[in-house]
Amino acid sequence: MVLHTVNASPSNAAFSQCLAVAAADDAIILMGDGVYGLISQCSAGQALAHCAAEIYALDKDMCAAGIKHKPEQVTLIDMDGFVQLSERYPRQIAWY
Amino acid sequence: MIYSLLVLSSPVSGHTAQTAAAFAHAVLARGHSIKRVFFFDDGTYNGSSQAIFPQDETDRLQPWLDLSQQHSVELILCISSAIRRGLLDDTEAQRYDKSGSGIHSAFTVSGLGQLVDATAHSDRLVTFGG
Amino acid sequence: MSSERRKTLIVVRRAPYGSSLSRASLDAALALAAFDQLVDILFMGDGVLHLLPDQMSSNIGVKNVGKLLSSLPLYDIDAVYLDASAAQQYQVDTANTPVTAQQLDNAGIQRLLAEYDHLLGF
Repeated sequence: MVLHTVNASPSNAAFSQCLAVAAADDAIILMGDGVYGLISQCSAGQALAHCAAEIYALDKDMCAAGIKHKPEQVTLIDMDGFVQLSERYPRQIAWY
Repeated sequence: MIYSLLVLSSPVSGHTAQTAAAFAHAVLARGHSIKRVFFFDDGTYNGSSQAIFPQDETDRLQPWLDLSQQHSVELILCISSAIRRGLLDDTEAQRYDKSGSGIHSAFTVSGLGQLVDATAHSDRLVTFGG
Repeated sequence: MSSERRKTLIVVRRAPYGSSLSRASLDAALALAAFDQLVDILFMGDGVLHLLPDQMSSNIGVKNVGKLLSSLPLYDIDAVYLDASAAQQYQVDTANTPVTAQQLDNAGIQRLLAEYDHLLGF
């Protein structure tokens, strides 16, 4: 059970590397430039749709980026939600 | 639970450092404690007392000062990262015969042993980079 | 979790000489080992380039990362892992690396991450 925080856009190797190793019982939080994965039609962005892990995105970062729609399976969280996820997942790894 | 944070992001590369500070405040708001925030590599820039930020943007230093002054959270700058970036406290400025120290008093300069201690005594270690 | 000996994995994703984060990651690993904590290293993506032999960093006036890696066993850092597909892409001669590294595919890396108390991504 790993909490992955992705702070890199879909064209950055960090994004696809995270998806390649995320497990079904992991969670991924898109933050910073990672939120662009919500709109990307590039292969990394599409890989997000097929990822077995739970996908979350920081609401403020999504708004800042001007992204209006998100895939249904992605849950928006605020900072309190971020902390709640860190409580649930014993280990976190930052991808950037 | 006991948390520690590892901050690698400078206050001027994106807003990750701000997210880290906001996360720290949210951790405390949920009733957890923070053992320390360890600033490493470019993260040490967050400890600068000399940086001037745009007036029409969120203050980047104040959230860290609030953690220190209101909640007694330890803010540690890795000494080897800090000095090669020109961030010297009074002791280091004197040691290297440089004029003036550039670190805000809310931050303490120390070694990687503080990061090790944080990993050994924290239930959660959260890294912010990029 | 009241134990004081935690297991940490350092994940190195950048090439050795183009970013200060590389040296930072190895310094963190050495510090953990020096204070008797359990620490392993995973080189992933461009991080596998740390394992190229014959690095002559004196040419750019910085410390030699390859030499540092060859001394890892002396510092009680025993387990070094390598992203197999990145090693193949960069033609890393896995029989001739500064330190012995166990190759992992993505599934192996996925399993590895779950074994540690703390993951430090660089």
